[in-house]
Amino acid sequence: MSIPSVVRGGVFVAVLVTLPMLGLQHWFLNLLVFVLMYATMSSSWNLVGGFAGYPSLGHAGFFGIGAYTLALIFKDQVLATGYEPFLLLPLVGLVGALVGWPIALISMRTRADVFAIVTITFLFVVQTLAFNLHSLTGGSQGTALPIPPFSAAGFELPFYYVMVGLLVFTMGLTFATMRSKLGLSLVSIRADEDKARGVGVRVIGVKVLAFSVSVGITSMVGAVWAYYESFIYPQFAVDPLITIAMVLMTFLGGRGTLWGPVLGAVILESGQQLLTYQLGAVQLYLIAYALIFLVIILLLPRGILPTIEDRLRLRRRRRRTAAAAALPGGPPSSNVADAASMLGRGAT
Amino acid sequence: MHQSNRLWRRGGVALVVAAMALTLGACASSSNNAGASASPSAGKPLVIGASISLTGDFADSGKAVKRGYELWASQVNAKGGVLGRKVTMKLVDDASSPTQVVSNYQNLINRDKVDLVFGPFSSLLTVPASQVAKRYGYSFLEPAGGGPKVFAQKLDNLFFVQPAPVVKSGDVFADWILSLPADQRPKTAAYTELDDPFASPIAENVRVRFEAAGIKTVYKQIYPAETQDFSAIMAKVVTANPEVLVGGTQNEDAYAQVKTLVQLKFNPKFAFFSNGANSPLEFPTKVGTQNTQGIMSAGDWFPGSTAAGSADFTAAYIKANGGSADTIDNSSAEAYACGQILQAVAAKTGKIDNATIIATLHQGTWPTVLGDLSWGPDGAPSGTFNLIQWQGGKLLPVFPDAVAKAKAIYPKPNWGG
Amino acid sequence: MHALVQGVILGILTGGVYALMASGQTLIFGIMKVVNLAQGAMVIMAAYLAYQLFTTFGVDPFLAIPITTILMFGLGVGVELLFLRPLRREDKSELSLLVTFAVALLIEGVLSVTWGTTYRSINAGYANSSWTLGRYQITVVRFWAFVLSLVALGLLFWLLNRTRFGRAVRATVQNPESARLLGVEAQWVSALGFGLGAATAAAAGSVYGLLYPFTPGSHYDLISRLLSIVVLGGLGSVGGAVVAGVIVSTSSAVVAATISPAWSEMTFFIVLILVLLIRPRGLFGSVNRGAI
Repeated sequence: MSIPSVVRGGVFVAVLVTLPMLGLQHWFLNLLVFVLMYATMSSSWNLVGGFAGYPSLGHAGFFGIGAYTLALIFKDQVLATGYEPFLLLPLVGLVGALVGWPIALISMRTRADVFAIVTITFLFVVQTLAFNLHSLTGGSQGTALPIPPFSAAGFELPFYYVMVGLLVFTMGLTFATMRSKLGLSLVSIRADEDKARGVGVRVIGVKVLAFSVSVGITSMVGAVWAYYESFIYPQFAVDPLITIAMVLMTFLGGRGTLWGPVLGAVILESGQQLLTYQLGAVQLYLIAYALIFLVIILLLPRGILPTIEDRLRLRRRRRRTAAAAALPGGPPSSNVADAASMLGRGAT
Repeated sequence: MHQSNRLWRRGGVALVVAAMALTLGACASSSNNAGASASPSAGKPLVIGASISLTGDFADSGKAVKRGYELWASQVNAKGGVLGRKVTMKLVDDASSPTQVVSNYQNLINRDKVDLVFGPFSSLLTVPASQVAKRYGYSFLEPAGGGPKVFAQKLDNLFFVQPAPVVKSGDVFADWILSLPADQRPKTAAYTELDDPFASPIAENVRVRFEAAGIKTVYKQIYPAETQDFSAIMAKVVTANPEVLVGGTQNEDAYAQVKTLVQLKFNPKFAFFSNGANSPLEFPTKVGTQNTQGIMSAGDWFPGSTAAGSADFTAAYIKANGGSADTIDNSSAEAYACGQILQAVAAKTGKIDNATIIATLHQGTWPTVLGDLSWGPDGAPSGTFNLIQWQGGKLLPVFPDAVAKAKAIYPKPNWGG
Repeated sequence: MHALVQGVILGILTGGVYALMASGQTLIFGIMKVVNLAQGAMVIMAAYLAYQLFTTFGVDPFLAIPITTILMFGLGVGVELLFLRPLRREDKSELSLLVTFAVALLIEGVLSVTWGTTYRSINAGYANSSWTLGRYQITVVRFWAFVLSLVALGLLFWLLNRTRFGRAVRATVQNPESARLLGVEAQWVSALGFGLGAATAAAAGSVYGLLYPFTPGSHYDLISRLLSIVVLGGLGSVGGAVVAGVIVSTSSAVVAATISPAWSEMTFFIVLILVLLIRPRGLFGSVNRGAI
């Protein structure tokens, strides 16, 4: 199972890396940059919301923290090569993770809905602070980042490759988690937290770790976004709609799967950008978002990938049962296969 | 069959994603020659692209901008277009989002290859969008991005289409106050400022000038955008008892401040609100017509203006959209002015490409419905706004004298008429 | 000192409205263990309805309350039946949050399409009048809003304590299994309970529209404040929500009056964090319900 996985991953990365060399237009690269941003954020949200089963509604707060951290570091500076912000990304990620640590400690001692309340409140706190701490953030006047000194011809490329790197990192992390004891712990927490604790899983430690990593990655994406836009305002850097987008994409593709969030991001982000552009005065994007969300939760609660998998597994089992019923020994037990696939759900 | 199922299930997603990307990418690189040709464009339509907020927080003003652009396009086409070319506006929605606005201008410029672009609504979206335009050498006439950060970028391709940078809205009021004889000027001042890029800087500019002239600041408060309750703030204003109240406001908070002052029964001798009080229809509706008398504000276009093309603009607007001169949003006039400037450049130079526009507009003055406009090297216009005052339920310009239609009333009469 | 007292007066008067909004939210949680993130949106929707009734038919917002209450009650029941009931039990806790958030967005979207994003407010003739009590001003609108909130809360208490439906609700809140054993139809209680929560939002909405300008996006501010109040009061305790509503609203007004308006927003959040750190079950929440 692992060799084909590595091959698949390798093909994916190779495609992403070589894509720009096909002479793609600027507007398409621009679209890809945003899609990659959301794919990375959805994948990182997946760690907490998908695997651990704790729906965080405040990730956008960390997106904003990442954006403003980068803005602060590079305040009023002129860049030499333009790559400096990228080199400092890990520092931004660390800041995000460090802020997330105590938040997780306070809020994850309780159940999922209180966790959601705390995270959504955190989001609004960050936004309020962004507005009020003028000396740090510029308040409602916004704050500028240094203009990237890249040539117009290749402007999007550095951002593109950095985002590819972040996405691969996040997916690699997810992949490794799924295969490790940590991953099993997370899934067991999601299935039944009390039992998990009874069995000896270090519930709090695991949850807090997942949250910190998740928000650290989100902060890094926020920083790249800020650098790309060159100017940020509190209401855009800390926007509840960013969280909703991440959650929706993960749900659409399939929570707790490796490729689900990426699929969700590709479909929704490119769809949204292109539809908003093509259809002009379509005043219904908020309604469309909400309806898609409701439809997914009610009709396709596990998301696209797991649903497809389930259907295929069902069909395979039927065929196998039919075939085995013809054998003298009777139908084989499928429990082991089912259990394994439940844990490795989406382990494509 | 077993094989293909496994392929679909396991590797399928990765391949699907990659395939989608490749196909879209192929379309993207081959659409290179679908757009404008390299030959001279006489007779070809002149396509002007702009991203406007048709949904989201800026939607109402965005729609007013759209009406302005479209009105100009139909007017100019009725007269034969620009240099014989028919004008086509390609307007797209950015949902009031800076992410979308960047993508929109990328698409307009690089995918649809429009000839020219106009700016979006709001400084918040103008800054990222102007960077995209700059990268590809497009001129950027924009009707609604006038905050200081816009000009701090020092872009030579950007032109803010209003008489002056937004922070100067209060300066015309300061000019007027300081032009009064010394014994009639106010001695004390209070400043209530919205924490917003366009509100508090205006009031701060006024404060600096007033303090330099010896007008004492007895109270100053900057309040956040979510403030809904002004009782506490205005109560402190009343206690401080200023002779002039300078409000650096947007619309809602201006209405709330006036209503609260009425409730508290406090009447300053001079009252200025940078926004809100310049809405010809909304302000009297929200605070009561009888309470508007004597309140001052700043504006560029106003009903009854005699600036270049204003009468035509007003008539055409009413014909296309109904209503009356009082229901015309300033943003429509500002958008219309962008078009007028293009026409003027074409008439003066015989050309209408980006480089010509950028080179030409930095010199001279250009007549529009907003008055005569001219720009400095960073896109900041070098004129002044008009000081307007409510008299008899109507907004009238009272200063500078060149545009004044009435004499200013002062001190401000008491609430209720 | 004057500013402080004026702040306290303001806080108490406004606290009534917040108490009303929060009581509906905490009731829904008590009955269904669902955090209704659409409560704020429902208040705003009711504000728009009252606004429309006022501008088209001249109906005073206070008098519009019976109409909006019935409409919103129906909406609440509909939302529960359509979107919450189909959720499987094991997913309910996680997903109900997202579902109610989606409903909030849906409401916001519909409101922006119907009424646009200009700020609206209900400008009744008495909107600017105020009474003077010694050195303090009491605005007429705020006073009647407070009275109305008291009346509505009184009605709610009567409903919960004196009617069969109310008893069923309280039984379900205290002990769902026993309630079911005793024949209480949990399904009906859920649907009607959600409707009731929406109805309180309706009453609050009319008043909200008189006090403050609103736009479809105003629900974000509201919901963040309501969440703090509900957690402080104790999830599921209506009495707690009332007390907490007044406390938080007063603190916020006092901070605005004495320190700075910029930090009055933070009061709500600071309260929430403190509650979670010191006494997670809130003032009147019970420990054994597994709420916290």
